[in-house]
Amino acid sequence: MMGESGTGESGFLADTALAIVAAVPVTLALFVACAVGASLLAGVLVAAQQGRVGGLVARAWIFVFRGTPLLLQIFMVYYGLAALGPVRHGPLWPAFRDPLFCAFLAMTCCCSAYIAEVLRAALAAIPPGQIEAARACGMARWTLGRRIVVPQMVRLALPAYGNELVMMLKSTSLASSVTVLDVTGVAQQVIAHSYRTVEVFCLAAAVYLGLTAALTWLLRRIERRLDPAGGR
Amino acid sequence: MTETRPTVLRARGITKRFGDREVLRGIDLDAARGDVVSILGGSGSGKSTFLRCLNLLELPDAGTIEIAGSPAPLAHDARGRARIANPRALNALRAKTAMVFQNFNLWSHMTVIDNIAAAPVHVHGMARAEAVARAHDLLDKVGMTGFAGHWPRQLSGGQQQRVAIARALATDPDLMLFDEPTSALDPERVREVLDLMRALAGEGRTMLIVTHEMAFARDVSSHVVHVRDGVIESMGPPALMFGPDASPVFRGFLSPP
Repeated sequence: MMGESGTGESGFLADTALAIVAAVPVTLALFVACAVGASLLAGVLVAAQQGRVGGLVARAWIFVFRGTPLLLQIFMVYYGLAALGPVRHGPLWPAFRDPLFCAFLAMTCCCSAYIAEVLRAALAAIPPGQIEAARACGMARWTLGRRIVVPQMVRLALPAYGNELVMMLKSTSLASSVTVLDVTGVAQQVIAHSYRTVEVFCLAAAVYLGLTAALTWLLRRIERRLDPAGGR
Repeated sequence: MTETRPTVLRARGITKRFGDREVLRGIDLDAARGDVVSILGGSGSGKSTFLRCLNLLELPDAGTIEIAGSPAPLAHDARGRARIANPRALNALRAKTAMVFQNFNLWSHMTVIDNIAAAPVHVHGMARAEAVARAHDLLDKVGMTGFAGHWPRQLSGGQQQRVAIARALATDPDLMLFDEPTSALDPERVREVLDLMRALAGEGRTMLIVTHEMAFARDVSSHVVHVRDGVIESMGPPALMFGPDASPVFRGFLSPP
């Protein structure tokens, strides 16, 4: 059966591909916002873990957000919070009624827990001698953190952190479950009136593959740049 | 003529315990400017712990330390545990010293030149251009010309230790602390480091050296200190310590039966 445009099979695939590619900015915006938000929040969590009270709060945060499914967290923020009067009638309602914002918020909280664990492991992996050398020459605490601890932590964390970013990029597809029209959301929409599940999902998958390939390439470049003598 | 030279180090009654083990049981040690003090002793004698107490990498449980006129800001809490009374004063005190470690501990994320320039810039507030220029001079001095852009892991152990010595010299310290600087080196690399340390001693640097290199201690030091079971068992100029009148215990340490 011919399509309305009269161009047949290839016409349908081209139209679908265009629609899906047009949704890439939504997926990317969600990913970039979450990556930045979750990384900053993870940094705060790791810093908090250096204190006793902050450590308890941070551990509880990580326990909850790592221990429950991201999909549920997105539902809780989008549907759950909307049921609460103070949220519904509060000043932030315009934000909380926006599914994209809710997905961003839930993903940021969830991913921050994972990234905090990555950073914590990297912090523990810094050889003590590196810090001792800085203390021995009289480096102040803050300078030591900025010049020695953080740069070393970033280098040690990068491979595992990159892994988290790739996971996060793919997890943005869950936002489609609360009506966000990202790559997956648009794909589902096309399927809803074409019933051509396999072709459309394959197109969407190809788009994600392209995005993760670009991200992996970028991460490897950063890794090489931070450690030009790598492996030697 | 020792009295005319200013005192750089005055340590009194240094004690340190790890759990139930008393590692240091009251050590007194003085050093005047230009002294090269070799600290010898068996493993577990406490010699490295003593050195690490001097710049407060380990907190002594009791005792006082004064370096180039500044007292170490040590205090004790209600339970008698040692603590730092004043972090600023601690950093100021450490900035007068420099330490060379057994495992070099060059900062792995910095090139050779940045390793050397780091403390002058980030601790002493020197302008970066000046610090880098001086770092190049120090690289020449330690025989590592041309390695400025290398990363620590690209260097051999002996080369890393020479860079670490250049890093220690960069702040022109009043007191240099060497914690077994050749123990992690291949035998053929030991000499290049010892030769460099010999040159520093000749320049009048004040050095405290924990070492197992007996020939070096005998030939280069102005004083030899033998630490045993957390106390100074005997000390004196090398001519005495390596002569016939040395303490029998130290002679036993030098040549075990």
